[in-house]
Amino acid sequence: MEENKKTYNTYKSAEKILPQPVEPFDREWGVGVSGNTPEPSPFPRINRILSKTAKTTNGFVPHERAMLETEAFKKNPGAPQVIKCAEAMANIFRNTPVYIYEDELLAGGLGCDKKGAPVFPVFGLNWVVDEMRDGLMDYSEKRTHDYFSFTKESQEQLESIRDFWAGNTIEDYANSMLTDDELKGSHAGKGVFFADAYIYCGAGHLGLAYDKLFKLGFKGIKELILENMKNIDMSDPEGLKKHTFLKAELIVNEGATNHIMRYADLAKEKADSEKDEIRRKELLQMHENLKWISENPPRTFWEAIQLVHIANCMIHMECNGHSISYGRFDQYMYPFYKKDTEDGTATREFIQELIENFYLKVWDLNKLRSHILIKTFGNGGIGGQCLTLGGLDKNGKDATNDLTYMAIDAHIHIRIPTPWLAVRMHAGTPWELKVKVANSIRVGTGEPKIFNDDVAIPSMLSSGTEVKDARDYQVVGCVEPDVTGKSYGWKDCGHMNMAKVLELAMNDGRCIDCGPKCMRWEKCGAKGDRLGLATGSLENFKTFDEVLEAYDKQMKYWCDRQIAVLNAVDMAHQQLKPLPYLSSIMDGCIESGKDITSGGLKYNFTGPQGVAIGTTGDGLATIKQLVFEEKKATGKEFLEAVKNNWEGHEPLYAYVNSEKVHHYGNDDDYADELTKFAMDTWCRHIEKRPNPRGGFYQPGAYSVTVNVAFGLMQWASFEGRKAYEPVSDCMGAVHTHCASHDVSGPTAICRSVTKLDHARATNGTLLNWKFSPGSLMGQTGRDSFIALMDEYVQRKGMHSQFTVANQETLVEAQKNPDDYRDLLVRVAGYSAYFVELSKELQDDIIGRTVLSFD
Amino acid sequence: MKHTKEGEPYGLVTNIQKYTIHDGPGIRTEIFFKGCPLRCLWCSNPEGLSHSRQLGVYPSKCIGFSKCSFCINVCPEGKDTPIIYRNDILVNINENLACDDCFKCADECPSRAIMIWGDKMTVPDLMKIILEDRNFYLKTGGGVTLSGGEVMLQWDFVLLLLKACKDAAIHTCIESSLYCPPDHLEKVYEFTDLVITDIKHMDSGKHKEYTGVGNELILSNIKKTVELNKPLVIRIPVVPEHNNNEENIRATAKFIIDELGNNIVRLQLLPFRKMGTEKYATLCLPYPMEEFNAPEREVWEKDLLHLTDILKEYGIPAVAGSSGKML
Ligand code: SF4
Ligand code: SF4
Repeated sequence: MEENKKTYNTYKSAEKILPQPVEPFDREWGVGVSGNTPEPSPFPRINRILSKTAKTTNGFVPHERAMLETEAFKKNPGAPQVIKCAEAMANIFRNTPVYIYEDELLAGGLGCDKKGAPVFPVFGLNWVVDEMRDGLMDYSEKRTHDYFSFTKESQEQLESIRDFWAGNTIEDYANSMLTDDELKGSHAGKGVFFADAYIYCGAGHLGLAYDKLFKLGFKGIKELILENMKNIDMSDPEGLKKHTFLKAELIVNEGATNHIMRYADLAKEKADSEKDEIRRKELLQMHENLKWISENPPRTFWEAIQLVHIANCMIHMECNGHSISYGRFDQYMYPFYKKDTEDGTATREFIQELIENFYLKVWDLNKLRSHILIKTFGNGGIGGQCLTLGGLDKNGKDATNDLTYMAIDAHIHIRIPTPWLAVRMHAGTPWELKVKVANSIRVGTGEPKIFNDDVAIPSMLSSGTEVKDARDYQVVGCVEPDVTGKSYGWKDCGHMNMAKVLELAMNDGRCIDCGPKCMRWEKCGAKGDRLGLATGSLENFKTFDEVLEAYDKQMKYWCDRQIAVLNAVDMAHQQLKPLPYLSSIMDGCIESGKDITSGGLKYNFTGPQGVAIGTTGDGLATIKQLVFEEKKATGKEFLEAVKNNWEGHEPLYAYVNSEKVHHYGNDDDYADELTKFAMDTWCRHIEKRPNPRGGFYQPGAYSVTVNVAFGLMQWASFEGRKAYEPVSDCMGAVHTHCASHDVSGPTAICRSVTKLDHARATNGTLLNWKFSPGSLMGQTGRDSFIALMDEYVQRKGMHSQFTVANQETLVEAQKNPDDYRDLLVRVAGYSAYFVELSKELQDDIIGRTVLSFD
Repeated sequence: MKHTKEGEPYGLVTNIQKYTIHDGPGIRTEIFFKGCPLRCLWCSNPEGLSHSRQLGVYPSKCIGFSKCSFCINVCPEGKDTPIIYRNDILVNINENLACDDCFKCADECPSRAIMIWGDKMTVPDLMKIILEDRNFYLKTGGGVTLSGGEVMLQWDFVLLLLKACKDAAIHTCIESSLYCPPDHLEKVYEFTDLVITDIKHMDSGKHKEYTGVGNELILSNIKKTVELNKPLVIRIPVVPEHNNNEENIRATAKFIIDELGNNIVRLQLLPFRKMGTEKYATLCLPYPMEEFNAPEREVWEKDLLHLTDILKEYGIPAVAGSSGKML
């Protein structure tokens, strides 16, 4: 303890902190300036690190992780899978390269240099090696962003283990369980739904049990494992399984301690050769910190934040999942903050600096995605590492504290895309926090997103979460409420294109563009067969109720198929990819003696998303108004127009895109109610269906960027979309190339969107707003904006996030990317560098309605 | 006052804008009434000038006569139709040719290439829309702003609407040139919480030159407003080369101090922006300031701040721009 104190103080007096204060709440940072600010941090060290930080998600592919995993698998050919995986992780923890960088106060990475994206063969090695061979990994026309370099050696090494993994991947396992009937509408077929997210990567979407890790440390966890190994009845088959699992837990536990000690040793080594006295002391302190936390619970803020970072890095090294989230950072770190600042161990400024350094460390992490995937999910980096702030505590009181503000300031001081920040709002959120959030949002980097306790908590209660757990939720990934450390939610595991379901429902189960060009033509159309369920045709429906009924039946049909595929993938994970390290730092697996993939936690959900809510709602409204009320077109003519991609039907095309037709997003009950029906129907057929881990399904209502991908797979649609345009994003209104369908301003959007039942989407909802800087200027702009957020929260909208940029800026940035390298914008649940996004995604963002009132 | 077939009084409204945040305090719904007795050279809402419904023409939205021609087909003038097109695309509607004012073409046009300026709206129609955003008013001290055109031209309908707003406990504001009979004002003020008006020029001759009317009635109504203790926001639309000279600004200051006892809530100096060119075109009207070259931002911004400083010398609560907090 004494040791720490000394070092902090030395540090403080040695390097002067610039005069800019770390504000409590009310600083204006500028409106719409985004990341285009030189040296944004008050700390010279942070600005130095920042200046060396690449504003990109490009990286390189190291081979070490994959080779070490393979080595361990080969050494233990007959061992149970969980033991093999544990040995693999221990081998990786002990032998991958470790680094400590200049100026940095924290250590930890993915077993490779900054921006390296390790390889996980069980999620498919072929595509990695093929892309390397075919030039699809590096910059090329097919990969204009998120490109990866690699050495000849890495390529050869990975090539050498290709055969070992052939036939042993999640994809192989899942596909062997499925028939054409389940796959025909999937990612591998016609794209009615996607269920492939966790075929090519881990499920992630959780946060480790921070309280437990802080209480026990790795040594305490080891004791817990040993404790649970006592008195196991080995004659009981369950006991035998449990014992095997716990044996695996011991292997990874030791590996984790070893891993951290390697960083401790490196810090010592660096200190010994360091000439600068101040830096030498820092390195020595890092050495002490790392040595201590390799086994023990942290004692100071510095140790705690070091442990948070490194424990999460190790999860990434094991599971290859997105959205490994940082839980309620301001809550679990607060005791350290309080103690350190009270007893003089650290100053508030130094803690601020540590947080900023931590955010920058997260940006080092990277993830490899195929050149196809990055088209629609680009620039996430490691992706989804959400950090939750504010909200209610376990007893239902507001939990905002100093760290809540400091964690938001930290983002404003560095303006990089990690971590993703979520602020929990509720009826009793302090005014100061709202001001802080509004000021941060106005900067235009898109952080933080806001979340609504008054919806999320009841929503979680409805799916069987205990009150204390529900109140203590964190946001994982984009928008998913989750009980930190206790829940495996398989969030974001799949997507349903509701607009395609409507298409099939209106065309008797056939795709509206059915013809010989289709990949399934021989198997399907040519034989007079159909892709979906025969639910009748718009040509023959007598009443609008028949339309609704057809949509409902068609939805059930596709939900059944999606669930089958998701369950097969889930079972494949259970069989091939147990996660012993992750299981050890979650709450409950050691006690239940079951791996997290086998349902070892308290809560087990599966959360796919409904996509194209607005498109489907407007589609229904348009059909109702035109065909059944105004009779502007018969059902047959209408189908014909869509089949012809509106060609030769220009007046109808203009009309359905005009304000003369009821559209979702304008506080117009006619369209809003049908949009609600579209979403409820999806929820009804998904919610509470059983999953393979003893839990059940939870529907979500957002697309992230999958709306672009679905759009590319779908022909024209009823609400005035032409072929291959994106379908509507998340909870948002329709924006076709012809027109934005929401034309009534932000209050109308707020009211329309909150007519939908957010609480029913227990896996989360997402609403993108886009404001022009002018509309948020000054105190008037700020306070009106706060009122808008308040009303959204009060009307039970679950989530909102904001882009603040001039339309001209975005268009300009698309033209001259080099001038806008630092322009961060909101993509979906996250922010990314605009110029690094794919053209399709850039266009989608530019197309969102700008709310401008100046 | 005009009435619908059913006998309901109605007003002629060109536009309703929700989430207006700069015309009165808080978040407001702003309703623009049609018709105006002034003809300011710099007007950027020409659709508000005429007292009657008008067709607006947006050729760029026309999808082409060969594909559509709904407008011509429905026009009762047959082959004498005033709808003019060239290269298959709508050009304008020739006012000199016979037009029934039936507005059928606008009703039929699928793309809003032809649209109608001026909706007949009753008090219940408007209150439905106003009440949708009631929560936003309550949260921000906002409410309703009635503007134009010249809102006082339809004063008797406006009176009914304001009364309905007050019945619903909604804050009311009118934005008016105050070029109207004083007794109309007195009646309307009974249900008005805030008044926003302009002083365009202190010299009546110039005022007439720029707006078509002298300023005497306006200035006396401003005085009356203050005498009646109505909270008043005054704006000066600062138009370069027209009213931005120091002499005019000092004369304005003197009026505010001597005649109004500085009893105003705010004096806002608003920059001139060349806007509305497209709207003039859609109405087939010439834009009076077409030739005028607006100065660069740096120039007018400096000018605006300078003039604001002069006004502040007098102790007047002057601000540049409208985005500052109003009350
Ligand atoms: S053959 Fe026709 S109905 Fe079948 S999947 Fe292809 S397009 Fe769809
Ligand atoms: S109805 Fe409208 S879109 Fe059609 S031809 Fe006439 S102006 Fe053009």
